[in-house]
Amino acid sequence: MNLALLDIRHNAGRFVATSFGVGLLFTVVLAMAGIYKGLVADATELVHAAGADLWVVQQQTRGPFADVSRLDPSVERRVAALPGVRRARGFTFLVLQRDLAGRSRRFALVGLGWPDDRGADLPLIAGRSLRQAHGELIVDASLGLAVGTKLELAREEFLVVGLTRQLLSSGGDAVIAATVADAQLITEEAPSDAIRTERFRRAERLRTTDLGRTQPALAALIVDPSWRPPVAASAPLAAVLVDLQTPIDSGRVRAALASWPDVSVYTTAEQDGLLLDGVVEKPRRQLALFALILIVTSSVLIAAVVYMMTLDKTHDLAVLKLIGARRRRIAAMVVQQAWLMGMSGYAIAVLIGSQAFSHFPRRVVLSDGALAGVGALVMVVSTLASLLGVAYALRVDAARALEG
Amino acid sequence: MAQPLATAAQASLAALRAEGVSKTFGVGDTLVRALSDISLTLASGTVVALLGPSGAGKSTLVKALGLVSLPERGRIWMAGELVAEDGRALADLRDLRRQHLGFVFQKPNLIPFLTARQNVQVACEIGAQSNPRQRADELLAYLEVAHRASAMPATLSGGEQQRVAIARALANRPALIFADEPTAALDKVRGRQVMELFGRIAHEQGAAVLVVTHDHRTLDVFDEQHEMEDGRLLPVAA
Repeated sequence: MNLALLDIRHNAGRFVATSFGVGLLFTVVLAMAGIYKGLVADATELVHAAGADLWVVQQQTRGPFADVSRLDPSVERRVAALPGVRRARGFTFLVLQRDLAGRSRRFALVGLGWPDDRGADLPLIAGRSLRQAHGELIVDASLGLAVGTKLELAREEFLVVGLTRQLLSSGGDAVIAATVADAQLITEEAPSDAIRTERFRRAERLRTTDLGRTQPALAALIVDPSWRPPVAASAPLAAVLVDLQTPIDSGRVRAALASWPDVSVYTTAEQDGLLLDGVVEKPRRQLALFALILIVTSSVLIAAVVYMMTLDKTHDLAVLKLIGARRRRIAAMVVQQAWLMGMSGYAIAVLIGSQAFSHFPRRVVLSDGALAGVGALVMVVSTLASLLGVAYALRVDAARALEG
Repeated sequence: MAQPLATAAQASLAALRAEGVSKTFGVGDTLVRALSDISLTLASGTVVALLGPSGAGKSTLVKALGLVSLPERGRIWMAGELVAEDGRALADLRDLRRQHLGFVFQKPNLIPFLTARQNVQVACEIGAQSNPRQRADELLAYLEVAHRASAMPATLSGGEQQRVAIARALANRPALIFADEPTAALDKVRGRQVMELFGRIAHEQGAAVLVVTHDHRTLDVFDEQHEMEDGRLLPVAA
């Protein structure tokens, strides 16, 4: 005969109400764990979707996600020429906020190295990968755009040809993938007035130089919109993604790249590390501290309720002691009630979470590991919370049963 | 009940013997001598009344003899074994209470979240009876409340509650039963029925039953009577 269950059945209303309150607290604890897992998944999703063996970035930077990295486009060809490299792809990354289909949206614009990289490795759920060097986009479904939607960006028309699921930046912004050239076009879009003003400033700067004074014909050339100075640098890449011929080439290729003065190189695992240490670390600590406060609050709540339930049973405990109940039976009754309260709260939390978390603006990942971890934590918290009640129950004097 | 609650060997012994039992409360000017040098023997198979005015020390004596609150002075034997001496327990008191003692209170003190059957069954479980539920049902039948076995205490009448409480006290076939004013909350008829029940238990089961009572109308039920006054025991004629 389980006294804990029988007592709870007798006081079902109070138990259910308290368990619901505890369940709400555990829901938030579960959400904290899920949001952290979601942060990690979001932060590393794009790195993994890119499918590269090595990431070459500007030297002494931690680009392209955790830091700004600017590489000359020639690096792509130089890397491709290294022994052991099967393929080198240009890559750009920038977070923008633009009008998309009539709404101002924030997104991460990723440039893929056309024609080697057409986005075939991205987690497509609808449509297709890129087939043209210009004018096509793959967008994340969280932006709410459909395949076939036409978007105007940088005064050009782009067609949505594919949709991905949960392809987000470490900041939680949906990813839009285009060719590197289109990404640079969109990124460097400037208003017409700014372009005209820059042309005039260029002409004025030329007039103050010996070159401008000795060759006046240059002034007409420099304001020609179709003319590009041959000495001007091409738009930079953020990184070059390296696909190796075999994994055993990694060390050799890395050693070669390490001797170059203008680049740093990271593996995918190191990119994960940079993102998790740099981008996710502070939110992770914040979530952990928040979860800690909630766990302590849950413990205090369970402890207070179990203690009050134990106080209410003082006379019954005295009777049980008087008729010879062993200490472990008395303690088990209190601990089991705390466990039942904790487990009920946890079940309510899982139920609420499974229904509500999909509506959160950021991804909440409820992995089996997280569920098991929070479940184990609930048991530990419930056990600790019962100690106050157990201590009281064991102190109850059997003689109180004979009073009044 | 086919099976006697106390064995023949137990019956041949004094179920309880107390010698020189004394207890005080408070210190200095507030010192109260609750029990003064009390010696008492309870024979197996007898029902004994403990009379006296309020404050005479009856309940304190029950607590002392029931090993709930040990006396500072004196010695207590149970079934021939010395179990307490000058405030020291010489055996595991919880085990002794579980195996040898039964208690009935002024109020039934049934556990409110257990049914009548479960209130008895929990005592059987604590006493490690082989079939606690069956034992509980037998006791409820013996005390003529089997028909209320599934009822919660709050739905039982006062008399039914007290019978269930007595059944619980009998759960582990105690050699000694202490009843502290068990009829105080009952009317005259039901009070007498309960007292007669104690007589039946003592004579049929071979247990020694000490009943604290104010009710002089039921004294004919008892084999022996003692009266207390100011913490002292005054023997009276049976």
